[in-house]
Parts: sequence; C-alpha cells; structure tokens
Amino acid sequence: MKEDEDLELAALQRQLDDAFETTRPRASFEDELWLKMQSRRPFWARLRDVLTGLVDGVREAPAVPATAVAVLLVVAISIGVIRLSGLGPGGGGGGTSLATREGGDSQFNGQPGPFGRLPAPALQAGVVPVDGQTAPKASSAPGLGSAAIYFGPAKLEWAGQLSVQVTSAPVFRYVEPSMASADQFATSLGASPQAAQREGPGILGSYAGDGFTLSVRASTQAPSGEPFYVLILSTPPSTKGTTAMEIANAYLTAHSLVPAWPKVVAFVQSGDVTRVLYLRQFSVPSLGNAYVIDGLGARYGLEVDIKGGAVQSLAGPLPLNLDSADYPVITAEEAVRSALASSQAGPGTITPTPTVRLTTAELVYALAWAGDHSFYEPAFLFSGTFTYNGTTYVKRILVPAVVPSQRSS
Amino acid sequence: MLAERPPFEDLYRQFLGRIYAYVRAQVASSADAEDITAQVFMNAYQAYGRFEARNTTPAAWLFRIARNATLDHFRAHGRRERLRRTIEHEPVAGEDPAGMAEERIQYRALLVHVARLPERQRDAISLRHSGLSFEEVGALMSCSEDAAKMLYHRALKALRESVREETS
Repeated sequence: MKEDEDLELAALQRQLDDAFETTRPRASFEDELWLKMQSRRPFWARLRDVLTGLVDGVREAPAVPATAVAVLLVVAISIGVIRLSGLGPGGGGGGTSLATREGGDSQFNGQPGPFGRLPAPALQAGVVPVDGQTAPKASSAPGLGSAAIYFGPAKLEWAGQLSVQVTSAPVFRYVEPSMASADQFATSLGASPQAAQREGPGILGSYAGDGFTLSVRASTQAPSGEPFYVLILSTPPSTKGTTAMEIANAYLTAHSLVPAWPKVVAFVQSGDVTRVLYLRQFSVPSLGNAYVIDGLGARYGLEVDIKGGAVQSLAGPLPLNLDSADYPVITAEEAVRSALASSQAGPGTITPTPTVRLTTAELVYALAWAGDHSFYEPAFLFSGTFTYNGTTYVKRILVPAVVPSQRSS
Repeated sequence: MLAERPPFEDLYRQFLGRIYAYVRAQVASSADAEDITAQVFMNAYQAYGRFEARNTTPAAWLFRIARNATLDHFRAHGRRERLRRTIEHEPVAGEDPAGMAEERIQYRALLVHVARLPERQRDAISLRHSGLSFEEVGALMSCSEDAAKMLYHRALKALRESVREETS
C-alpha cells in the first residue's frame, strides 16, 4: 500500500516536472521582453550622444534612426537647486567647501585632503552583454541601434579638444545609510517594513504602502552604485497633469521625492511606457554642472515610468546627506595623456586590436565605493566610436580628475 | 573577492522559461503571467549591478524577485477573485485566445490544481519544480531545508488528493 502511494507520488512529481518544463511563454515573448529591457538600459548609450556637450541651455534631440524605442525629445532644464543638506531627497553639488580653493597640486602641500586620499572611480563592464572569448556581441534588439559599448583593448588616439578651466573641483562624500535610515525614508512615504524580506544581500529594507511596494538597497562595490530605492505602484495613483513630465512632477512633489540636486530632464518612449529621467548633476564652481555617470559611463539619476497616464514605478538614488571638499584636479593635458595610456582590461576582445579615435571628453562625476562611506568624484570621460564587422562600438575611458597625490589608488 | 557574475543576458535566456512557468502556475492567465514575468526581469535587470553572486545563486535571486512580484500581484489584484475564476474555469477578461493557443497547455489542468493549493504549499511545489533545491526553497520561504522538504511533501499529497477528487 505504502509502495503504491510512493509510486503514485513519484508519478505526480514527474507530471509536475513535465508541466513546469513545458509551460513556457508564447514564442515571441522572450524577444519582446528582451527588447523592452534593452530599451530601459542601453538607451543611455544613445542618449549620451544626444546630450554630449549639453550642459547648459536647451537643445532638441536629433532624431534617432527608426527603432522600436524612440528617444522622443530631450529637453534640458537645468534647475540650479544646489544644496548639501539632507532636507528633501538627494544632496547636491556646490555648497560649503571644506577646503580653501587655491587650486593646483600644491593645495594641500602634499598632505591628504579633508577626506584623506581618495579611491579612484572606474568604469566597469557591468551587465553589458559580451562574449568573453570573442568579439563582443552587439544587441540584436533594434531599439539599440547599432552601437554597443566595447571594454576590450584598443589603440587609442585623441582627436578632440579638452579645456579644463578649473584647478580644483568638489568631491562629495556620503556615509553608508543604515537600515534605520531606510526605514525612515520608507516611513516618510507611508510604507511599513516587510520584515521577512529584509535578509537579502544588500537590501536595507523592503516595504509596503498603500498601493505600492518599496525596496531600498545599499551601496555596491562592483559596479559602484550608491544606495537607491525602487518604488513600484500596484494601484495607479490619481495624478494631475497631462504630459508625462507633469504627471511625474506631480507625483514626486506630492511625495516629497523631487530631487534636490541639479538635473537635466529627458524623456524616453518605449512602447506605451514613457520614462521621465532626471539626470543627476553636480555643480562645479566656475565650470557649470557635470553629469553623474554609472559604471558604463552612462548618465543616470531618478527614473519615473508613466503608463496609461499614471506613474507606474520610480527608481533613483536614496536621499542622503553629502559633505563636500575641494580637491586639486589634473590639467587637460594630463587627462589626455592618462586616457591614452590607460590600461583596458575588459571583457570582450576584438582581433585585431581596433584603433579608436577618442573625439569627446567631458568632466563628469563617478562614484567610488569605499566601504562605510563612498565618494562622488570628478573624472574625465573620454569617448570615441569605431566600426567592426559593420557594427558601431563605443569606447569609453574614464580618467580620475583628482591629482594622483590625493588618490589612494 | 566578488564572485564573477555571468552576463545578464545569459541569465535571462536561461531562466525566462522557468520563471514564467513558476508564475504561470500561480496566476489565472497567461497574460498575467507575462506581465509578472516582465516585471521580474525588469526589476532584476535594474538590480543586477547590485547582485552579489557570492551570497546567493542566480536562480535563488531571480526566484526571490519572482516570488515577491507574484505576491505583489495578488495583493494588488485580489487573489481570491482570480482563484475563483481559476477554479470555476471562467475566462478571465482580456485573455487573448491567440495567446492561449500559443501557450503550451498540455499540463494546464495539473497546474490549475497547483494554483488551488494553500499559498505556502503552492509556493513549495512551484519553486521545487522550477528547479530549485530544497535548501533554496527553504531560504526563499524563510524556513529550514528540512521544513521545506516536509512542506513540499505535504503539498504533494494535498495535490494528489485534489487531482483524485476531480477524477473520481
């Protein structure tokens, strides 16, 4: 009897195995979803080109070639809100300097700056789909266009112009937030902890509120990432406004989530979802605003997805208090030399080694992880493109801007 | 040192079907399953830079996201109503006949029985037959490996009774 029962259960297990094994989405779903996902991430690669050189003023984006994902319009709205206090989300550039702005490598007479010697920010291959043994794959998704990021070795040439008018730039530091900080942020949004879901790696807290869930993550080392939150709405909120930006702004304002840092607003349309991007910047005295970039060299910030006239989800940096201190920066000539001499150990290798003409360079801010505290540091982002087997690749080089004597790595 | 992370696309191609099947076993329509699966991979893609392979397997990480997304779905849409439709075999508004035709439905009846199980039993069955070890199932369900085994076997017996009742 017992044996019959065991056999019956074993047969049921086999049926379950088969049931789960054969239950699959419709054939086109895999590629459709992948395309949709690609449209949410690598658009930065194209958007970056659109925004290159755009720090001040307003410019209409050039049309992107026919793709499933169209960058509709990029409107630069430099909102000069610069503050360092933790009032409201985010912290910003500018503000009180801890060091006297004297400029040059002699600023601290060889002594470490106010934050000590700094770790160097760096690009990291991250999630770029590449083949470690052969040439990197360009995504087949039409939404990507024909560009892919190449992290492998290349012979570099400089064919652009770089002028650095400053001798120092602020470095921003934050202390890694605690779970209590995440709880406080969640409470401010009316969310309560879901205790059972807190044990995940890097998770500061998972929360649920009226019609939404919230996840708060800690900083990560590789690729460097600041603490961030993801808010997903299960019940579309009643929103004011007719345009995506009005809807996003209304929601952010109502929930005190409007970024306090300088930002440029951009829009991306993907299917029936409009993404409103608040690209983060830091203010550099005498220079203007500089974008914050991620480990791929792409600009980022707060993202608000709008669907059906309502906010669907948000993801962005967790509001944090920032301290700032001025550090001396290298000259343009030194930056170019460093870029051309940089080692390029990355996944994906094209043979023969391609020659890349770096044509653009800009001062950006990149995160350098340092454990219980991390830094947003100035850096020079060089960029150029090359073509291999009919595919256009983007090559990026990041050169830390803080002088070597003030760096620990 | 951090454990090496595979390219996200590899994870996506490897786990999409399994995640979909896991979700599909719990929701009433293929459309819902697609929506949730899409949300799972969107969230995973966004968070992948922060995924630490040394702390968990990609499978456990993805299924955790899937489990949370499914729970969110039920919270948002009312599990009771959807379950009622499933049990009564009512068509769900908006179900795409073409989509249903495309879906492999050979074992749909069995998965309907799975969907009727109590939440934790349903979860144990779905996670286990999506390819997770009992250790991973236990970790996801906040219980020990042994407790996950016991829960699974209770769920299996309950499923057998459910199937028997319908066929008798």
